[in-house]
Amino acid sequence: MVQVIKTIFYFGPLLFGLAFLAPLSSQIIKAAAWTPPFGLTPLLTGLILGGTLGLIAQIRGRWI
Amino acid sequence: MSPTQDLSSLSESELLRMEREVASRHIDKFPYFAVAWAFSNLAVWLALWPLVFLGVIPLWLGFVIATVNITLSYLPSHEAQHDIIAKPGTKLRWLNQLVGHISTIPLVLPYRVAKFTHMEHHKFANDPEKDPDYAIHAKSPLGAIWNSIYYRQPRADGGINAYGDAMVRIGRQDVVLDGVIYKLVHYGILFALAWSGYAIEAALLWWLPRHIALTYIQYYLSWAPHNPELTSGRYRDTRSFRSILGNIGSLGMQYHIIHHLHPRIPLYRTPRAYWEMKPILEARGCAVDEL
Repeated sequence: MVQVIKTIFYFGPLLFGLAFLAPLSSQIIKAAAWTPPFGLTPLLTGLILGGTLGLIAQIRGRWI
Repeated sequence: MSPTQDLSSLSESELLRMEREVASRHIDKFPYFAVAWAFSNLAVWLALWPLVFLGVIPLWLGFVIATVNITLSYLPSHEAQHDIIAKPGTKLRWLNQLVGHISTIPLVLPYRVAKFTHMEHHKFANDPEKDPDYAIHAKSPLGAIWNSIYYRQPRADGGINAYGDAMVRIGRQDVVLDGVIYKLVHYGILFALAWSGYAIEAALLWWLPRHIALTYIQYYLSWAPHNPELTSGRYRDTRSFRSILGNIGSLGMQYHIIHHLHPRIPLYRTPRAYWEMKPILEARGCAVDEL
């Protein structure tokens, strides 16, 4: 159990990017009535954006 | 005693006796306002969710109110941490503990973690190794704000991120679990809301207001009263200061020196205690020249 929790916290930035920033970006895109390029859906755009930011934060150990 | 009286010729024991006499007039006063504040502040923050979801108030207004709510959520718990509402073994002890536990829920700060790290801060204020709030230490206000944000980054090893280490150092590993549970529940709720179509609401009613509040609280509680150029020691680790936002805007911290000298004086009594104690503090060479 401890190991599972440690793993969750270790991958915290990536998880946050995919589980929070992705739907957040997607909903902001929809609210702004913006059409993503290359025929991407708002959700897919959000997943790419949130996933990328999360991955960068995961590697760097910081968001800013 | 007049606020301008010169007591520098008095002995150490005489000053201590006078200081205790002033403190005794302000200790053991029930902080009605802090108790009402704890419950009403939490109630308002909780009410924001249905009010925003049902469109009764706009999200931008919810964001502003939530930021104020979460910023104000720490202080009632702080009164409880010092047993100001009720001491252990007294009739209202349950109320003290209830206020301590509920008020910092929006801040995602468990009461026991807040209490134990805060007691360490009092014992070791401004000690780079042992003061859990030392990471906010900086030469300038902007430096303090940056440190507050920096030490919340995923792999930063100080500030609020190092509260777990402080718990381990004092032998209270069990309390680390409180922090883990709070974090898991907090992120679980944020993720669930986000995937249910309420990501913007979750970001603006909890996630972002909490980060703004933590920065504000750490600036006024950890940095402003303990910096710059203050060292350690009972009469040297904190000061009084003048905030451009006044005493309320600085979360009542202008008179923080009183709190460190006599932590059981309720927050609302610290200004009065300060003015009564000021000649004593001046005689001791405390940093009280701004007020």
